[in-house]
Amino acid sequence: MRVKIMNVLCRSRKLLSSVVRSNVLVEQTQVLGSWLSKARCYRLCQNLPQHFAASLASCQHRHHGASFSCHFHTKRCYSERNEDRNSASTGVFEEESHEINDTSFLSQSPLETFSLDVLVSLLRQENAVDLCVIKIPEHIKYAEYFIVVSGVSPRHLRAMALYAIKVYKYLKKDGDPNVKIEGKDAEDWMCIDFGNMVVHFMMPETREVYELEKLWTLRGYDEQLRSMPDETLPEDFMFDVETTNVCCCVCSCVRWRMCSSRLMIVDV
Amino acid sequence: MALPRLSRSFTGLLVETSCLIHQRTFSVSTVAAAIQKLTRVRVVDNSSLGNTPYHRSPRVIHVYTKNGIGKVGDKVLLAIKGQKKKALIIGHKMPGECMTPRFDSNNVVLIEDNGNPTGTRIKVPIPTQLRKMEGDYSKVLAIASSFV
Repeated sequence: MRVKIMNVLCRSRKLLSSVVRSNVLVEQTQVLGSWLSKARCYRLCQNLPQHFAASLASCQHRHHGASFSCHFHTKRCYSERNEDRNSASTGVFEEESHEINDTSFLSQSPLETFSLDVLVSLLRQENAVDLCVIKIPEHIKYAEYFIVVSGVSPRHLRAMALYAIKVYKYLKKDGDPNVKIEGKDAEDWMCIDFGNMVVHFMMPETREVYELEKLWTLRGYDEQLRSMPDETLPEDFMFDVETTNVCCCVCSCVRWRMCSSRLMIVDV
Repeated sequence: MALPRLSRSFTGLLVETSCLIHQRTFSVSTVAAAIQKLTRVRVVDNSSLGNTPYHRSPRVIHVYTKNGIGKVGDKVLLAIKGQKKKALIIGHKMPGECMTPRFDSNNVVLIEDNGNPTGTRIKVPIPTQLRKMEGDYSKVLAIASSFV
């Protein structure tokens, strides 16, 4: 039993270290519902204080002991402005905390909807590389969250996308629309649009080319946008040139027809 | 003297033209609208293929719809700089449905065969109805900078 726990702890440490390396600071243990193994829940619960206390001084985190009665006290922190993957995150804020009892864990009332927590946790579970969650401001009426994930290989991306779809189908209610994977035949970039969230699965090289995180955080001040030359109208531009041409064509047409008819008369 | 002859020829002329129109020796087709073959389009992304000057403007050579008319969200085949390239229609000059934007130019975004956009940014506003349409538009919406 102890050996099993030790193995689990070792594996979980690797997972969490990869998580800490990525820029998103999402702490939660409530997400993994009863359809994931309970061992994973306990492991995360035990390992959280060591890693997160070391890296995040600003985030408060309290954790009830490693008892198997599963009282979790979690706070969710994620940075709103993720400028660059390697740069330090700014503007970290805390969400409200949840306290979950053992019984409510089984009834999974906050876990029944396919929310951001569920999606991020399943991406973590799938060993997603460089997960980046961006909160889209209210005035852009596109979605609420914009997520970019990288994978190790095209097959990995496809597996992650299909797993996300599977989980969504399991958790969706009757009124929710079905979601499809866009870009299935492109092996380096796939998207899924979940209504309030949009996920992009890209290969690292494709990610470097498009730099979507920069665009969606820096909106108007993005480098690639700024380097695009401004389009100005040429000096001799006239908007209604085309309409005058059309008139000329019509006149000539009518004249031609009249000429031809006159010829007909003459012949007769 | 010339006048009655002229008037006679004119009346005959008028009769003749009306007869001609009645017989209809020319073919008639329905009014084509929006984007069809041989329309000149404007490439609005920052790809090199779309922005380098050429002596001919990019033209549509095929529209991938059941009828040959392209509206917002339809794929077309363009002839740019002597090569063929697929593109996605972003906006057209023809007025569309109620509460959809109408643009002053036929805007188009270049696309690869696998659906990835060729350019990396789009400055021009993109209609938001693309999101609700059936098709792979999330990639184009992801590289857009403003929405209409």
